Amino acid sequence: MRTVMSQTAQISRRTLLKALGVAGGAAAVSGLAGCAGPTGGPPPGSVTLGLNRSLVSLDNKLNQFDAAVTVQRAVRQGLTRIGPDLTPVPVLADRFELTSPTQWTVRLRDDIHYSDGSPVRIEDVSTALEMYAQVNGSYLAAFFPEWPTVVPVDDRTFTLETERPLPVLDYLMANILVTPAAANIPEELQSGLGTGPYVVTASNRGTGEYTLRRNDRYWAGAPHVKQVQVRFVPEEANRVVGLRSGELDLIDTITPDSAEQLQGLPEVRIERVRGTRINQLFYNFRKPKDHPLAKASVRQALSLAVDGRRLADEILAGSAQSAVGPVAQTLNGSVKCGAYHYDPRRAKQMLEAEGINDGDLRLTLIWESGEFAGDTSVMEAVVQMLGDIGVGVTLRQFEAGGNISEWRQGRAGDWDILGNGYASPVGAALPILQGMYGGTPERERTRDTYQGYVNPDVLRLLDEAYAEVDPARRQEITARVQQVVWDSWPSMWAFVPNSVLAYRNRVTDVALEATNSYELANVGLEA
Amino acid sequence: MTTYIVKRLGQSALVILLTISTVFVLIRMAPGDPATAFAAPNATTEDLAQIRTQLGLDGSILSQYVTFLGQLFTGDLGTSYSFRAPAFEVVLDRVPYTITLALAAVMLTAVIALPLGIWMARRADTGRETGANIVTIAAQSMPEFWSGIMLLTVFSVLLPVLPSSGFTTWSGLVLPAITVALLQVALISRLVRREMVSNLTSPYLTVARAHGIGERRLVWGYALSNSAIPVLTALGTRFAAMLNGVVVVEVVFNWPGVGSLVVRALETRDYPLIQATVLVTAALAILVQLLIDLLYPLLDPRVRLGKATAR
Repeated sequence: MRTVMSQTAQISRRTLLKALGVAGGAAAVSGLAGCAGPTGGPPPGSVTLGLNRSLVSLDNKLNQFDAAVTVQRAVRQGLTRIGPDLTPVPVLADRFELTSPTQWTVRLRDDIHYSDGSPVRIEDVSTALEMYAQVNGSYLAAFFPEWPTVVPVDDRTFTLETERPLPVLDYLMANILVTPAAANIPEELQSGLGTGPYVVTASNRGTGEYTLRRNDRYWAGAPHVKQVQVRFVPEEANRVVGLRSGELDLIDTITPDSAEQLQGLPEVRIERVRGTRINQLFYNFRKPKDHPLAKASVRQALSLAVDGRRLADEILAGSAQSAVGPVAQTLNGSVKCGAYHYDPRRAKQMLEAEGINDGDLRLTLIWESGEFAGDTSVMEAVVQMLGDIGVGVTLRQFEAGGNISEWRQGRAGDWDILGNGYASPVGAALPILQGMYGGTPERERTRDTYQGYVNPDVLRLLDEAYAEVDPARRQEITARVQQVVWDSWPSMWAFVPNSVLAYRNRVTDVALEATNSYELANVGLEA
Repeated sequence: MTTYIVKRLGQSALVILLTISTVFVLIRMAPGDPATAFAAPNATTEDLAQIRTQLGLDGSILSQYVTFLGQLFTGDLGTSYSFRAPAFEVVLDRVPYTITLALAAVMLTAVIALPLGIWMARRADTGRETGANIVTIAAQSMPEFWSGIMLLTVFSVLLPVLPSSGFTTWSGLVLPAITVALLQVALISRLVRREMVSNLTSPYLTVARAHGIGERRLVWGYALSNSAIPVLTALGTRFAAMLNGVVVVEVVFNWPGVGSLVVRALETRDYPLIQATVLVTAALAILVQLLIDLLYPLLDPRVRLGKATAR
């Protein structure tokens, strides 16, 4: 071995110390230089969005998160979209009509093309449907009772054929994003070729940052803003500070507390609309028949102990409304079925009538952290309210990534009430009712129903509604489904949170929709 | 030297293998199912079973481990469940940010802590040193999330002169680096002070002083050189620890480093991503330690790598 001295003879200790000193000085100078640089605000002609979830793809085959929808739709589009009034609006199609009970006729617009100039073809639609159908565990697939088959009629016209009537297909197709057939695979797509108003010019999946450039050849006219920067800012406090300091132009999915902080700042605007999501304190319907919760009267009595108005006004700072039906009132086809009343005295009387006295009933309430804004405070208040009628409650909170799914299915432990939110991306009540309350005995064998909810009356009515092609008659049946569900007291309390968006004044024409999304193509900047 | 490096690299490979094997088993024993994190909330039992098969999670831990080792030796660390991309690439996307922050923080620490420590040593047991001690102890006692939030409030909200989050410009580095360095400055300056006091009162310095060598040279040339090894070791250890992610600071400043990545990977039970992060950060930390060891002979000629030090 050569000696160490001979190897290191060229570098003296003094030289090394000097080098370290210079490097340290350089670091300090670069820090100071940084101070003098820009503060990270958006460049001119650009808008910066701060998303609470990482935009890991520009596709929604597997999951669909509110925060991602706006950006995904700015790059890829569907045949329809759910419009501001929650009805389907044609996008890539200029005709989408129910032409027979099991057939929809669709015609592609003649002026549409992808950002590379290639035309949209019928084959792209059929491939998209195949790819969505092939993904395991897809969120959207659950809303399709069956996948339609594409039958071409001419170059632009085709029919969507189903075995059984599917009267809400125009709603469902709003979530199927179209991509060139050759580039589509049964996975979430990372690249950005689409028909939308923006194209992706840079992305970093690791940091969740994307740069979108205006698609000057956009078939509906180029958008106003030249460039959109998408940043992943998971912590709400960071998003709020970023908006206040001008680093971010627009943030969504903010809690009532943060909205309150931002309210009144001259440079910030807040927009609130009634949302489509419903958050519930849902009962466990897998209880044995002799369990108190198996009785609708006991479930109703517990509901009477919950002061929904106080929870909505005080804990949720007025950013939510108590539900008046089993789905959000904003959805097309939803009806008012009743209301949650607060009457603890009656609650106690009803429990006593069932032979349940003070201290007889102990319940376990489970939920995952962050299921909805203010979740822990709501749960703690509920413990107090139920305690007032002599019902004990044990709270069990699961952190994200924990095994709440196993608990929900009753495989890891027993529980009585679940704090849970249910998003409604399709805009119509019927598919949501099907998703939540359409559980069958067969599905329950594998614990795949919504917390064990299986109701033969609901199933029969849902079948009737799906088979009915006359809209008025279908709505009548849909209303009956909701009433039957409501009367079964599935939730101790349920509420519909507002969708909230905050943006700086320099950004204009932000029209937040109930789906917690907005059209990025319409957004502009102050002159 | 070469033999020493090869030997150390061999030892390091074993350490990494042991670490990653432990992580492999422990994360699979923890509650939670990657399939449920991967799939939509309404996925059926059948969907989840298919996803487990697709992700290679349907076999025993042993069979999964054998498969993992086979892939590891071909350089394949699997595909991240949450990013739907090669886990190694996802980690590599984040590593530059972590290295940048760690380097800036360590350099800032060195620039402040060395002069401060020397200053404190030369004024040992005086009122001024007590004052400096109070300040460093206060800095050491401040949790990073608190100091970070305070800096953020002042420089990003009240005087919006520095970015509050991310790393879109170089100025975005200033606040996170200061936050990380605050605690380190307190620790390192006290270490420098202790080492310098010990050297400044040692007989060899008294002899040097008797030979008429100037005070500046005594302090900066002699005492500091002899204090360099423990200080460099401490700085290197802190730097290696920072490479594993400065989670709190990353969260406060939305810094896209590996610390926040691994937290996210743990939340989503993203096994390949957790394994890739552990592998990369362990390798980096070991490399840094090796580099520090290689620097020792430069600082002290008595040090012989791979042999007992003739001190």
